[in-house]
Amino acid sequence: MTKVIFLVDMQSFYASVEKADHPTLMKRPVIVSGDPKRRSGIILAACPMAKSFGVRTTEALWEAKQKCPQAVVLRPHMQRYIDVSLSITSIFEQFTDLVEIYSIDEQFLDVTGSTRLFGEPKSIAKQIQKMIFDEIGVHARIGIGPNKILAKMACDHFAKKRESGIFELNHKNMQRYLWPLPIKKLFGVGSRMEYNLRSMGIRKIGHLANFSLDILKKRWGINGEVLWQTANGIDDSPVTVQTHQKQKAIGHHMTLPYDYGTRKEILVILLELSEEVARRTRAKQVMGNTVSIGVQGANFDSPTGFYRQVKLPFPTNFGMDIFRAALQLFDQYWDGLPIRGTSITLSNLQSAHQYQIDLFGDLVKKERLSEAMDAMYSKYGSTAIIRASSLTNAGQVFVRSQKIGGHDK
Amino acid sequence: MQDIADSNQTALSMKMTVTKDKLVESVTHVMKAVSSRTTIPILTGIKITASLDGVTLTGSDSDVSIKSFIPLSENDQQNVTVEKTGQIVLQAKVFSDIVRKLPSDTIAIEVDQRLITKITAGSSEFTLNGLDPEEYPLLPVIDEEDNNIVSIKKDLLKHVIRQTVFAVSTSETRPVLTGVRWNIQNGKLDCVSTDSHRLAQRVIPISTDDETKYHNIVIPGKSLNELYKILDDNGEEPVRVIITKNQILFQIKNLDFFSRLLEGNYPDTDRLIPTDSKTTITLSTKGLLHAIERASLLAKEERNNVVKLRTHENSVEILSQSAELGRVYEDVPVETIEGEELKISFSAKLTMEALSRIDAQTIQINFTGAMRPFVIRPIGDEGILMLILPVRTF
Repeated sequence: MTKVIFLVDMQSFYASVEKADHPTLMKRPVIVSGDPKRRSGIILAACPMAKSFGVRTTEALWEAKQKCPQAVVLRPHMQRYIDVSLSITSIFEQFTDLVEIYSIDEQFLDVTGSTRLFGEPKSIAKQIQKMIFDEIGVHARIGIGPNKILAKMACDHFAKKRESGIFELNHKNMQRYLWPLPIKKLFGVGSRMEYNLRSMGIRKIGHLANFSLDILKKRWGINGEVLWQTANGIDDSPVTVQTHQKQKAIGHHMTLPYDYGTRKEILVILLELSEEVARRTRAKQVMGNTVSIGVQGANFDSPTGFYRQVKLPFPTNFGMDIFRAALQLFDQYWDGLPIRGTSITLSNLQSAHQYQIDLFGDLVKKERLSEAMDAMYSKYGSTAIIRASSLTNAGQVFVRSQKIGGHDK
Repeated sequence: MQDIADSNQTALSMKMTVTKDKLVESVTHVMKAVSSRTTIPILTGIKITASLDGVTLTGSDSDVSIKSFIPLSENDQQNVTVEKTGQIVLQAKVFSDIVRKLPSDTIAIEVDQRLITKITAGSSEFTLNGLDPEEYPLLPVIDEEDNNIVSIKKDLLKHVIRQTVFAVSTSETRPVLTGVRWNIQNGKLDCVSTDSHRLAQRVIPISTDDETKYHNIVIPGKSLNELYKILDDNGEEPVRVIITKNQILFQIKNLDFFSRLLEGNYPDTDRLIPTDSKTTITLSTKGLLHAIERASLLAKEERNNVVKLRTHENSVEILSQSAELGRVYEDVPVETIEGEELKISFSAKLTMEALSRIDAQTIQINFTGAMRPFVIRPIGDEGILMLILPVRTF
């Protein structure tokens, strides 16, 4: 049976929420930007009006201001956006129980079983659009397809460009609409892949769709096959509710306020990230035994950095275990040059409700220590107890405690 | 022994005959050390050295090396005749397959200057391309004068290996734990192995002088497993053990078994073994083992393979459950039970492995709480200790 999948995307989500919250800004160009004094000072969202002046997301604030000096610049309110995103989810749940949160402003819906109740797919799309606009004040664009990949591309390449904000892409019309698009528009093709494909004479999505699968498999393995399937609109993955609960890894990334050049400074951040990852791992009642660290070099022109992982002899959710493993990798692979960002991830997760005790891991003692710290965090907040090293200039705990995803709450 | 300079003058560089039985036995021994996955190509071969007193076969994977010697004659029986001393390296897999299948009781091997090797037996003749024996790495030279020799009876050594090597770690995260740690001191050999979830210890008396002391000798578990397979059941025979800085040599009649030692400090395990006991039970080894085996039928698919033990007045209860399959209870009678009531979870697999290596009829188990390691000791044999770390459950 053919499924009916929607990808619903919120137009200029942050900016639209701000406009809805401040009706006085309705007729003015609005820009949401991070703190210009820090690295995060880039455009996070711009309303359609601001975009008509040429403002683009991810450019620096000063660039945007040159193009559109009259724009109202707002700081992000991340908690508010999360709340709004969740209330949008509950609107979707009036139409179907199969809602997958893909990102803060994109969600997949499987409405296959809803057509008897709510009518044709296009009519359901219109009802959803209207409901979101009436209740939230945000314009939604909806891509419709027989699976997630076509729904996603229907939304990105067609629905967003149409007045109605709705477009259906299926196996009947994809030759006409999808295949003539340049290959870089294919979901999953980055600049590197675009270069590789073009050098093989594949310039359009249709070229790839009709290319020999064997050659692609030989060259890129599974990845080659996935791209070929994407080009042919093949995707078996179901819309899964709450993908985030079956997390495979827990990690944190931090873009530093300025480039950190000394090992001492970087260690402060690694320790903070380790503790944060450990705390979130405990909150989810899991443990992991694989620690990875990513480091981005500061030099933009010749990007350096690494991403490495190590397996621990026992599962953990204790900050110092994660830190020691990350430090070992850092000392092994760091080239000594300043860095602009770093991340720490704990993966290979298992339930913390049952674990094999280890002769050398001191797991039970660590568990008690963590319990005590978590009790303090939950009563007095995330800065109730911090490492002394976080009081140095390199420390970011206090700044981060005010933020979500690196931006203001 | 060999006179290669001289042999180069003639057409043949080696010529000998050997009885098939002896050759098959030797090849089987040295094949234990030969690995097909080696980074040194010559080690895929067996080195054959014909000398005036007999034939020596050598196999090695650079961690383990085995040298097997066939003397000219033994018990008035002629094994070998050497017409021309010399040496050659032949592809191990092919050579061992050929030797096993040859039709007659004696096998003649001759090698010419181009390393072409002719193997004749009865009416069958194989011609093999040999490898240059000069390329074969030298085995470690162990000077017996400088080292104290420890002598252990073969069957005792086999027991010691069987009771410790199963507990070594299979993960390379802490390489030193993939070996069994030997300490020799005060006339005692103390062997310990652990993968950090369980620990096995065996202490045996050995005859050495008081001067002999070795600490932190870590023998790869893989080597000991191979050695175990080679040691036959002729139990009274002594095995001479010679230890150097980075090698250990086991000498049995006509056989030298070399193993590399693992580097790194083995953790101090003595302080990790609890000395007190809050709950002590004595019971039948087999009774407990079989009850856990039955309970594990449901625990097999579960993570950590967990079974639970609960103490009662005159028995212990073994239970296990699986969300999908169901549950099992079993009462196991005990001989004595003392101390606090206890409920503890542990891995069935680890416990069964430990119990199955205890030969005594009765064991004593000392518990010090549900989250602390417990210790199993056979009654009547102070030299064995099995420690298991429990599984934390909520």
